[in-house]
Amino acid sequence: MIPTQFDYVAPTSIQDALAALAEHGDDAKIIAGGQSLLPVLRMRLNAPEMVIHLGKIDSLRAARDDGDAIVIGAMTTHHDVLHDPLVNEHAALIAKAVEHLADAQIRHRGTFGGALAHADPAGDLGAPTLALGAEFVIAGSGGTRTVTAEDYFVDLFETAIGEDEILTEIRVPKHTGWGVHYEKFVRVVHQWPIVAVAAAVKSNGSTISEAKIGLTNMGNTPVRARGTEAGLAGAELTEDGVRAACDRAAEGTNPPSDLNGDADYRRHLATVITRRAVLKAAHV
Amino acid sequence: MELTHRFTVPTGVEETWAHFEDIASVAECFPGAAVTSVEGDTFTGTVKVKLGPIALVYNGSGTFVEKDEEAHRFLVDAKGKDKRGNGTAGAKVMLTMNDNSGSTDVEVLTDLAITGKPAQFGRGVMQDVSDKLLGQFVSCLEARLTGPVTSDAEPAVGMTPEPPVAATAAVSTSPDGALATPPPTAPAPTRPVAAAPPADKPRPEDDSLDLGATVLPILARAYWKPVAGVVGVLALLIWWFAARD
Repeated sequence: MIPTQFDYVAPTSIQDALAALAEHGDDAKIIAGGQSLLPVLRMRLNAPEMVIHLGKIDSLRAARDDGDAIVIGAMTTHHDVLHDPLVNEHAALIAKAVEHLADAQIRHRGTFGGALAHADPAGDLGAPTLALGAEFVIAGSGGTRTVTAEDYFVDLFETAIGEDEILTEIRVPKHTGWGVHYEKFVRVVHQWPIVAVAAAVKSNGSTISEAKIGLTNMGNTPVRARGTEAGLAGAELTEDGVRAACDRAAEGTNPPSDLNGDADYRRHLATVITRRAVLKAAHV
Repeated sequence: MELTHRFTVPTGVEETWAHFEDIASVAECFPGAAVTSVEGDTFTGTVKVKLGPIALVYNGSGTFVEKDEEAHRFLVDAKGKDKRGNGTAGAKVMLTMNDNSGSTDVEVLTDLAITGKPAQFGRGVMQDVSDKLLGQFVSCLEARLTGPVTSDAEPAVGMTPEPPVAATAAVSTSPDGALATPPPTAPAPTRPVAAAPPADKPRPEDDSLDLGATVLPILARAYWKPVAGVVGVLALLIWWFAARD
């Protein structure tokens, strides 16, 4: 279908974008890469009167080094994130998750901030940003505020971004030298994961000292597998050594049931995939 | 497709039933619902549903086909159509209340029949989304049913005392449980709980103030029926999930 008619504006600064958003309020919709919004418009599941495009705000692109964190601009495309040297060196888990996010075409158009603002529970970016303790910088008329990943993901498609606010940057604390892996279980390679696990592991080669695990599609928001993280600290880096901790991966989760699998299936899957992710992260 | 939801409210069955009957605005607990007209046992209304990138406006009508005071059960038949042509949805909703030693178990059985794009979806996501919205509905309902108990002596805050008394009385005095014609369109605060039998006289003013203080002002309209329509509409949301890639 063809979308309903809408006006379009592409401001060149965040202030102008915020002003446009304030002016049109509920009738406006922000578009980043458009990889989720355009299908919705074409199916007429939404009919905004004004579409505000962030693509011409140059300051929102690219990643930069900010001391103890890598700051990724919200309008950085998945492709650029994937090939960014800073991200690969200090937040490699993000790059791992982006590597198999959708397909190449979408990775060239879709944006890091757009996907995170969309907050699809099966989206690939929630789990790694949550696991690494990322912070979300949100601009509003009263200035910017920073929200932790725990507070950012509120519910299904719902984030801490207010109606009159724009996500501008994501600050990812540096995890230089950590072993990382994003293990994704899908039926079709570019599809949304049925379950996926983002794992960052710090080890001396034989024993894990610290692990951070994020789960995708195991609830309405990304989830941190805290029980597994606690169990992995001090665990021997072998398949049997991590098994008990990984068996706790689904603790406290509330996964959906759908045609791809019911909740119990996902709970089981989470334990298996977590084990794989941890071992691959540690290069075992 | 059948969906079942159960919840328990911590008030007696008579009181809960009276609440549903008396405070027609129970449906206001569903986010985005608005009734445009009520005539006899039929109502029309719109439901605006926002979920992430989706914003649907759904126009529909419903009929209250059965109401059994003894068994504390009612059946609503609702039909609707998306404003932009994304298909239709029909829902038959049976709501039953049972006494559970002082509190009330409420069961909502929804039989959904959907055409158009949303019909391509299976049960999973639909249950998920309807759970989410029903969850909001139930917490809102619980807040209204339990609010006054804990806040009897609270002074009124942020409400106008006079109009709500009149407005609520207009709704609650309907003797046979049939829905009273709603008062004019002006929003008026409504009490969260009506005492068990519909009151034939306005309550003492301080009573209504106490009660009113516990809830946000809502429209005092007689439309508890569209509960069904709202549930039916949830199905329309589901199409989004197929479009995610």
